Amino acid sequence: MAVLWCPDWPVVAWGVPLDEPAIVVVGNRVVASSPAAREEGVARGQRRRDAQSRCPDVAVLERDVGREVRLFEPVVDAIVEVTPRVEVAGPGIAGFPTKGPSRFFGGDKALASTVLDRIVPVLAKRGEGRIAIADGMFAARLAARSANLKNGPVIVPVGESPAFLGGFPIAALEQPDLTDVLGRLGLSTLGAFAKLASADVVGRFGKVGQLAHRLARGEDDHPPDLRRPAPNLAVTWVFEPVANRIDQCAYAAKALADELNASLVADGLACIRVAIEAETHSGEEHVRLWRHDGALSSAAIAERARWQLEGWLGMAVRTSGKTGDQADDDRGIRRLTLVPDEVVPADGRQLGLWGGRAERADDVTRVVARIQALMGAEAVLVPEWRGGRGPADQITLIPAAAVDLGEERVATGIGWVDEPWPGKVPAPAPSKVLLDQPEIEVVDTAGKSVVVGGRGELSSPPAIVIMAKKQWAVSAWAGPWPADERWWDPLTQRRRARLQVKLEDQSAHLLIVERQAWYLEATY
Amino acid sequence: MAELETKRRPALSADIIQRIKPVTLATRQVMDVPEMLKPLFPLGGVQRGTSLAFAGNSGWALAMAIMAEALGTEGWLGLVGAPDFGLMAAAEYGVRLDRILVVETPSLKLWPTVVASLLESVDVVAVAPVGKVGLRDARRLTARAREQSSVLLHLDGAATWPTAVDVVLAARARDWSGLGDGHGHLVARRVEVESTGRRSAARQTKVEVLLPGPDGCIGEVVPEAAVAVSRGGSEPALL
Repeated sequence: MAVLWCPDWPVVAWGVPLDEPAIVVVGNRVVASSPAAREEGVARGQRRRDAQSRCPDVAVLERDVGREVRLFEPVVDAIVEVTPRVEVAGPGIAGFPTKGPSRFFGGDKALASTVLDRIVPVLAKRGEGRIAIADGMFAARLAARSANLKNGPVIVPVGESPAFLGGFPIAALEQPDLTDVLGRLGLSTLGAFAKLASADVVGRFGKVGQLAHRLARGEDDHPPDLRRPAPNLAVTWVFEPVANRIDQCAYAAKALADELNASLVADGLACIRVAIEAETHSGEEHVRLWRHDGALSSAAIAERARWQLEGWLGMAVRTSGKTGDQADDDRGIRRLTLVPDEVVPADGRQLGLWGGRAERADDVTRVVARIQALMGAEAVLVPEWRGGRGPADQITLIPAAAVDLGEERVATGIGWVDEPWPGKVPAPAPSKVLLDQPEIEVVDTAGKSVVVGGRGELSSPPAIVIMAKKQWAVSAWAGPWPADERWWDPLTQRRRARLQVKLEDQSAHLLIVERQAWYLEATY
Repeated sequence: MAELETKRRPALSADIIQRIKPVTLATRQVMDVPEMLKPLFPLGGVQRGTSLAFAGNSGWALAMAIMAEALGTEGWLGLVGAPDFGLMAAAEYGVRLDRILVVETPSLKLWPTVVASLLESVDVVAVAPVGKVGLRDARRLTARAREQSSVLLHLDGAATWPTAVDVVLAARARDWSGLGDGHGHLVARRVEVESTGRRSAARQTKVEVLLPGPDGCIGEVVPEAAVAVSRGGSEPALL
C-alpha cells in the first residue's frame, strides 16, 4: 500500500505559499498551519488567539473542505494515470495498492518516483507531495510523515511494517480515548501495544481495541472480516434535467447516502470504502474511491459524495473551456451512483434482553432487508389505513422499504381515516378478504337470479347462494349497501352493491354485485 | 468408595441442573391471551417457541383476537402467504397495524427461508403454506421458532404441515346475531373453540366466546337477547 500525503493541504488549498505564516481554523481552533507558522510556535489544536499572539502576522483562514477536495482532485487524477485504484482518505491524502503497479514499473521505488514525477507539475510548487510505501495504509501514512523531499520516498520493505511501527508513540493511533488508557497502562509505543495478545486486547477494549491493535501490528491492509458487498446495494440517482449546481447534487448525495446506509445497516454491515461514480451530460464517467478506517456513516458518505461532486463540477469548468449555458449543460451531472466497495460487519450494539423499541425495529428492518434480497424490494409490505367502502379498500399495503419501521406511523392508527364513506359496510370487518373474488350465483326462492335495481333495491330476497357448484340456503341477509364509486368519471365509474348473508352453516359472507354478476368478496 | 461415588453424583447433577436451568421462568415466556381463552392453553397463554394452528370457519378471527392480546403494543407479526388475511378485522380486534409485516407469497422453494428469517425477529409468524412442506423444513422451522422464542402460527389448520403442532384450535361458528331477514347487519358471533394438542396441551378443552362480540373485540357469551338489545340502535337505515 502506498500513501501520497500532501502536508498542510488545508493551507495549500487556500493558495497560500508555505513559507508564509498561515493557519486554518475551525471554530477558533487551529486545524492546520503552514511550516512558517509552526516555526513561530503555532501548533494544531491551539486557540486562534494563542496562535495569533505567537505569530502576529499570521493569515487566518476558515477551513473549506470542498475547496480542499476540489484542488486535490487533479492530484488524484495524476496518480490515476499511473494506477487506477486510488482511494482518497481525505483531502490531501490518498492511498493506492502497490502490488501490481510495482511489478509493472519495476519496484516500489520506481513506482513512487513515477507517481511523484506526475504530481509535482500538478502541485506546481504550491505544496509538496510525500510518498511512502508500507504493508498497510496506516504504516504507509506514518511513513509518509517521515518522508521528505530530500530523502525521497520512504519504502518500508514487505513484512517490516510491524518493526517500523514499533517505535512510534502510542498517540500515533489518533484515538485519544484509547491511547490515553494504553499510556497509563505503560504501553507508550505501538510496539509495546502490538506485543499484547490479540485476544486480551479484544477482551479488554472490544472492537475499538481490536482495530487499533491491528493497526499497531501493521495488519490493517484488509480487515479479516472484510466482505465484498452484494452488487445490488449500489444506489443510483438520475438527474433530470442534469444537475450543474452543487446544491442540487448535495441533495441527491444525502438522499443516496441515507438509502445506502439504510440497506447496509439492514444487512448488518458498515461501509469502510465507498465508490462515488458520476456520469456527466457529455458522457464522461468519473469514479473515485473514498475510504475511512472506521465505518462511514450516512452523513460521512453524503459529505464525501458532495466534496467529490464539487471537485468534478469544478474540474469540468476548467477543462471544457466553454462558457454559457452549453458548458453548464455539458459538465452537468446526469447520474450519481454510490457503491459500497468494501464493507465489514457493523459492530452492532448488543441488544438488551428486553431490547428497546428502536433496536427491535432495527432487527425487524434487517430481516425485511434479507427477505427483500431474496424476493425483491416490493415483496415485504406494511398495512396502512385508507378511506374506502369495502373491506379491501380500507387498508392498503405499501412497500416496507418506503417507511421507517422504527418510527410511529400515523396512517396505521385507528382514527387516521375518519371522514364518512357513504355505503360503507358497518363493522365488524370480515376476517377473510378474498383477493380473487369467485363469481357466484344468488337466486330467490323461485330460482331467479337476484338483481339490484338502479335505486339500490333488490328484485327479490335472496334465498340460495351457489358457490363452487354447491347450494347454500340463506338464513339471514341484509343490504344492499350501494357503492357508487367515481360517479363523476365515466371511465372509472363503478356501480356496485354489497350484501351480507348468513348461510345455513352459520358462515357469514359479504357478497358484491356489479353489472348483475355476483361475487364473493369476503368471509366473516 | 462406592458410597463416595453415589454421594457425589447428586451434587454433580445439582450443579448441572443449576447450569442448564433456564434463566427465565417458563411463565415469563408465555404470551397473554384474552381472559376467556385461557382455559384453552395449558400454561394460560401462548408459549413462546411453540406452534399454533387455527382451523374451522372462525379460525382466522380467533387467531386475530389471540394475536391482539399476545403481541400487545410492541410485538411484531409477520404474515406469509396469506393475502386474504383481513387486516382490517385484525386491526379491529386490536392488532397494531404498524407492527405487521406482510410478505408476498413466496415460491415453495423460498418459503422455508423466508419463514425462518422472519422467525428470527418477529414474535409471531402467521403462515398458510403454499404447498406441502417437507419434513426437514418443518423440523428446521420448529427448531428455529424454539430457539428464537417466536411463535409459528398456522392459519390453515396445519393441513400441509407434516409434523405435529403444539396446540390446535378449532373455532366453529354457532350463531350470528344482528342479521335479520333483509335488515340489520352482522354484529356478533357465538363461536365454539376446541383445543387439542400434544404434550401438556393434549387434553381437549372447549370454550364458547363471542368472536367478535358486540364491541368488535372478543366477548363473553351472554344471552342472545342482551346482545340484540345492546346493538339494536345501530342498524343502518333500510333502503
